[in-house]
Amino acid sequence: MEHQIIKKMKAKKIIFAILILAIVGAFVAYKMYNKPHINVAETSSDISLQAKTIIDNFSSDETKANEKYLDKIIKVTGEIVSIKTENETTIISLNGNDFGNVLCYLSDETKNEISSLKEGQIISLKGICTGFLMDVVLVKCVITN
Amino acid sequence: MKTIYSILLLLLVANTSIAQNKYLTKSGKITFFSSSPMEDIKAENNQVLSIIDTSNGNMAISILMKSFHFEKALMQEHFNENYVESDKFPKATFKGKITDFESLSTLEKISIAGTITIHGVSKQITIQAAVKKTDDLISLKGDFLVKVADFNIEIPSVVAKNIAKEIKVSFELNHKPYKK
Repeated sequence: MEHQIIKKMKAKKIIFAILILAIVGAFVAYKMYNKPHINVAETSSDISLQAKTIIDNFSSDETKANEKYLDKIIKVTGEIVSIKTENETTIISLNGNDFGNVLCYLSDETKNEISSLKEGQIISLKGICTGFLMDVVLVKCVITN
Repeated sequence: MKTIYSILLLLLVANTSIAQNKYLTKSGKITFFSSSPMEDIKAENNQVLSIIDTSNGNMAISILMKSFHFEKALMQEHFNENYVESDKFPKATFKGKITDFESLSTLEKISIAGTITIHGVSKQITIQAAVKKTDDLISLKGDFLVKVADFNIEIPSVVAKNIAKEIKVSFELNHKPYKK
């Protein structure tokens, strides 16, 4: 009799433990599934350099530069060549070399901060590097100074 | 001496006319959409580079795979790391020719025949596009279907139900005259 009660209690405990594990598991899975995108403004940059340096790197050895810069948060400093808004996308182009410039595609929150900027000004921007087409591309850029 | 000058002048004129034939955008938009019973997946890329040469109808598009933005960060991670392997194949490209490019300004619909390369695999494709051409704009808009299996992209069976076999790719490219 006593034996059976102990057995039952053990079974209950095991079921309870499994239930908790399942709930925790589901919660973790849900959290992972809904993991937010990286917030560039609140994350410190992995690499900090001049616009000319990054374009030099990409134009001399693109594969190597891809390994070094792709998906990294990069703070880049350079002279503004142009500020353009096309199809709701605002691009600040930083002076690079003969091969190309650094194109900084601004984040939605940063778009409203461009009124004070002008061509020729030196500026630092922080964004995620996605690669090199005619120019080096940085997305989700925020202005750091 | 005179002939040299006239040749130089000719070259100069020829050069500028070539430059005027090129239309380009660096902020083209390409989205793709996968619809399945389990979930809909959408990704957007606003950093597409596209060039049209109106003198011969040639067209070239370059797309950075890492530039695709998904609603969920996890999807973006899986897309880049497991499916298209963006570290190995950072770009997708399209090289083609616009048929009837001579009458670009009068037509409303054109077709572009060429080669699309995704995940290191090239395929022949013909794309229909709605066109609008003015002096300072060539706009191309349309969509087409891409078979995931055609491009050697492996989808694990666990998530196979979540991803469509055919992905709808939409594009909106507003080319401006290219001046260097």
